[in-house]
Amino acid sequence: MTPGVPLLFSAACLLGGVVCGPRRARTWLALTLAGAAGALGAALLVLGGAPDWEWRHGFAVGGETLHFRLDGLSALFLALLGLVAGTGAIYAQEYWPEAHYPASAPGGRSWWCGLVLGMGLVLVSANGLHFLIAWELFTVCAFFLITLDRQRREVRKAGWLYLAASHAGTVCLFAFFATLAARTGSWEIGPLRGRLDCAPLFWLALAGFGVKAGLFPLHIWLPAAHAGAPSHVSAILSAVAVKMGVYGLIRFSGWLPAPAAAGWVVTGLGAVSALFGIAFALAQNDLKRLLAYCTVENVGIILTGLGAAMLGAAHGDAPWGRLALAGALLHVWNHGAVKALLFFGAGSVLHATGTREMSRLGGLWRAMPWTASLFALGAVAIAGLPPLNGFVSEWLVCLGLFDAATRPGPSAWAATPAAMVLAVAGALALATFAKAAAIVFLGAARTRSAEHAHECGALMRGPMLALAALCLALGLAPVWFWPAIARAAGAWNPAWAGREPPAPLAILGPLQGMLALLAVAAAAGLWWKSRANGWRRGLTWDCGYAHPSARMQYTSGSFAGIAAGWFGWLLRPERRIRRPRGPLPAAASWMERVPETVLERVLGPAGRALLRLSSAARRLQHGRVQAYILYVVAGLLAVGTLVLLGGMP
Amino acid sequence: MTLILDLLPRFALWFVLAPLLPGIINKVKAWVAGRRGPPVLQLYYDLARLWRKGVVLSTLASPGFVFGPAVAWVAVMGAALLLPLGPAGGAPGFRGDMLVLIYLLALARFGTAWAAMETGSAFEGMGVAREVSYAVLAEAALITAMLALCVQTGSTSLAAMLAPAAGADAALLAAGLFVVLLAENCRVPFDDPNTHLELTMIHEVMVLDHSGPPLAVILHGASVKLLLFALLLTEAVLPVGKLAPGVAAAALAGGVLAVTVGAGLVESLLARLAFRRVPLLLTTAFLLCLFALLMAWKGGA
Amino acid sequence: MNETTNLLIGIAMGLNLLALGSSRLPTLILAMSAQGVVLGLMPLLIVEPPDWRVLLVAVATVAGKGLVIPHLLRRAMRTAHIDREVEPFIGFVPSLLLGAGGTIAAVAVARTLPLLPEHSGSLLVPGSLASVLTGFVLLIGRAKAISQVCGYLILENGIYLFGLLLIHSTPLLVESGILLDVTVGVFIIGIIVDRIQRAFDSLDTRKLTALRE
Repeated sequence: MTPGVPLLFSAACLLGGVVCGPRRARTWLALTLAGAAGALGAALLVLGGAPDWEWRHGFAVGGETLHFRLDGLSALFLALLGLVAGTGAIYAQEYWPEAHYPASAPGGRSWWCGLVLGMGLVLVSANGLHFLIAWELFTVCAFFLITLDRQRREVRKAGWLYLAASHAGTVCLFAFFATLAARTGSWEIGPLRGRLDCAPLFWLALAGFGVKAGLFPLHIWLPAAHAGAPSHVSAILSAVAVKMGVYGLIRFSGWLPAPAAAGWVVTGLGAVSALFGIAFALAQNDLKRLLAYCTVENVGIILTGLGAAMLGAAHGDAPWGRLALAGALLHVWNHGAVKALLFFGAGSVLHATGTREMSRLGGLWRAMPWTASLFALGAVAIAGLPPLNGFVSEWLVCLGLFDAATRPGPSAWAATPAAMVLAVAGALALATFAKAAAIVFLGAARTRSAEHAHECGALMRGPMLALAALCLALGLAPVWFWPAIARAAGAWNPAWAGREPPAPLAILGPLQGMLALLAVAAAAGLWWKSRANGWRRGLTWDCGYAHPSARMQYTSGSFAGIAAGWFGWLLRPERRIRRPRGPLPAAASWMERVPETVLERVLGPAGRALLRLSSAARRLQHGRVQAYILYVVAGLLAVGTLVLLGGMP
Repeated sequence: MTLILDLLPRFALWFVLAPLLPGIINKVKAWVAGRRGPPVLQLYYDLARLWRKGVVLSTLASPGFVFGPAVAWVAVMGAALLLPLGPAGGAPGFRGDMLVLIYLLALARFGTAWAAMETGSAFEGMGVAREVSYAVLAEAALITAMLALCVQTGSTSLAAMLAPAAGADAALLAAGLFVVLLAENCRVPFDDPNTHLELTMIHEVMVLDHSGPPLAVILHGASVKLLLFALLLTEAVLPVGKLAPGVAAAALAGGVLAVTVGAGLVESLLARLAFRRVPLLLTTAFLLCLFALLMAWKGGA
Repeated sequence: MNETTNLLIGIAMGLNLLALGSSRLPTLILAMSAQGVVLGLMPLLIVEPPDWRVLLVAVATVAGKGLVIPHLLRRAMRTAHIDREVEPFIGFVPSLLLGAGGTIAAVAVARTLPLLPEHSGSLLVPGSLASVLTGFVLLIGRAKAISQVCGYLILENGIYLFGLLLIHSTPLLVESGILLDVTVGVFIIGIIVDRIQRAFDSLDTRKLTALRE
């Protein structure tokens, strides 16, 4: 079967979903699921070995005839889109039901289908103009989804910030596609590896797609939007929408010849994003903001791999570049699956307790065992620990970097620091997710709302279980997924098209399986032995303190304090402290907030300075005619003086 | 099948020999202080006793309180099995296994950290926060040391990396790895395994609430980790691959013994560092490994 | 010969980092004086065979930098009751990282310099640059006058190392000029230290900002 059939079917279903979304929830769900399944099916067909799909039609939109293409690389992203769109739709049924949100739920369903359709069109468009239209469509749909809960001021603010930042990026993309079309003489996009004169355009693409991908200094919209949006929207934003930026970067770094410095810059930006993203994540107290910053980190890891691949491609298609690219591509899937799982988990916590503040939660495992164990699984996976999927892709990227570092040559100078930075980021990610999972789910409940939490229902649990199963499969049998990755890597650089997996990957799979099996066996064994020896319950020992209270527990701020202190120059936490003084001290307090430094300390002041300058200039414009005549005279005099000084002809 | 037959004796070796090291360290400390000290086999007795004892669980603890130590133990054991044993080589040696080793140690850290956070005790939270934070710096140093070895040998597989002797940078690498050993195993000057002042501890404070078999598993895992780092340090410096098998085995044993005695001497002669000085020492270790890496590069270029 | 001198310079570079990372004044003084001794031995290795003038220079340097100056500094610490803590403006970890980055950069930069072929493989130039940089970091980033003296002396060690490039042509001139310079510098600083101590009852250079009126 040609992939075109399921694709068309999927597009039709999604269009139907847009139309019937506001009124019929059940039909909408069925249509969305069918659409997602169609997209997933088409993607899997291509990834499984079907030839690339191309379709042209004489029908013109905006003066350009339709041209669609689905190759390995876009199929990779399309598969992820189908997966998250389907699971998110099911999740939303229970998480954002009509009964609780009568105003926003119906519209949200339509926007959801619009978003999925828009992103799908971005992936299959082979025409620059249509790419831009689809890009705009999905940006706008995402804006309405982020602001579903628009009664809250912070949500509206986050939405506007997202829209403004996205459009700043879109301006760069307009420039990029327009210049490209001007140089090649056509809006068609495709492999242009021989056109060396197009190489400098890569910088425009980097800026435009970098905003959407959340590269470090351009990530300003990301935390607020992810935290403010409903959790199923946060999930698709983080897992797929951000990846559209990554898709653009991978796509056009493969199709266009890259400038000589591009590999270095992308590797550097990726490493910086990874390190700073996770440093910010560690310092957060808001669960969803933490996950959002972690997205910045993971995009950084992906781009580090991409940068290494570009370096490898520039140095005679070195095999280490292929490893790094494969790692980056696999990480797209891994991060998508895990981050969707984690956002669903965070949504479940929010649903049950009504708060995202980690210092108000605690001890939730008792009320929410499913959420707790699935979130823990996601935490292990995203921290890049074996035997789960995050490890496989990070390992591939790191292996590529290590291989590059051991070969003498200039690329070793980029690969070595990048490998070190990734290691540090990995260790920080462990700290971050040990904190997130432990503070939220372990210990004692810190507030009443955490005490009265309840487990989520089957419709929310099901998607989480499916994603967790995928994480396990990706981790334990990475070789199964290798053909898909190899296909995408071949679409990026034809020199790396081979289907055979790199030798160590074949060993890693069984090794991970063995590890998982042994870990389960050891856990069961130790459980059985402890029980056989007899156990009794007692108060937490706490060094003999007889009345431990929930407020004595380590909080998220105190947990992160040491490592966040090292990044104090970057994080610049705002603290309001009332210290206990004297004997019998009165109430004391400690409040800490970590601002979005780039936004609040750099862009904010710069914007205000610009406004001040402009309002100073505005005083010249006040409506008094006499003064305007004075300006004219002064202008004339100035021009005259200039001419006189310059010498008459 | 052959792989499993190869792994079993290795497993037995690690399982049996590891608890010897803390005993040796304690003996050295006692010897320096002029005491008789506990028997070298003390940890074996302790483990056997703990394994038979009952368990007291915190009322707050979930099953993860028991699962965490089990996962951590499996991870440390897995990391140990990846390490080549001198003449016997690595068990499933493959490209990139040194990264697996580092990440397995991280998994072990996650397991113990998880178990410690289960109890909701402020002290254990403090220990975990310190453990995961200092591990960031220790991991930077460790990965730099691994990079140095990789660059020197042009290989990313442990068996090939550790066979030849380290070059001119051996002294730097040894010093750096020794500091990492002390930090990762929570020895003086980072942590004092003997103290019972909870505010100043890392590892000991994380296991305050554990008892019975889970505690036994944690202690055994910690001793395996100590042996792992001692062996890694020895193999990184000695030219194990060039010696005859018997001599190599003896050299390895001697090296591990020397490192252990060294740790004991450090423990007897130094005081624990103030916590705010810990990052400085770990940064020094990182720099030592970094300069080793640069020298390896210079040698290769 | 080249191997040994490089080893000595490598040790001196390590001592630079020790000086940057040490939080106690005695350690700082020790690092500084050890560096002086290590570098003082260098002329003996570079000029072969060493004649009496070189021997004299070496002995004078080792005695001056290794014994006299540290002794003076320790005595100053004792008599002025300066406590042993180094007070940093730039924290120890950042200054350590700065020093390490500077050392790496110095090695990289020295490769691009147009040096004589006999100096191209040696660490003389990078070692000199690294020491100068370390001296500057100490001068900028430490509060107490004593640690600034140490920073100044390490900076001087760097200049001295650079001067060794010329030792074949003008050995005594270079060396004695530098020694003279150091002696004068230490005397001046000694006098300043004494004055600050009397005027403010403390050796904290931060108090000097009170003089700006």
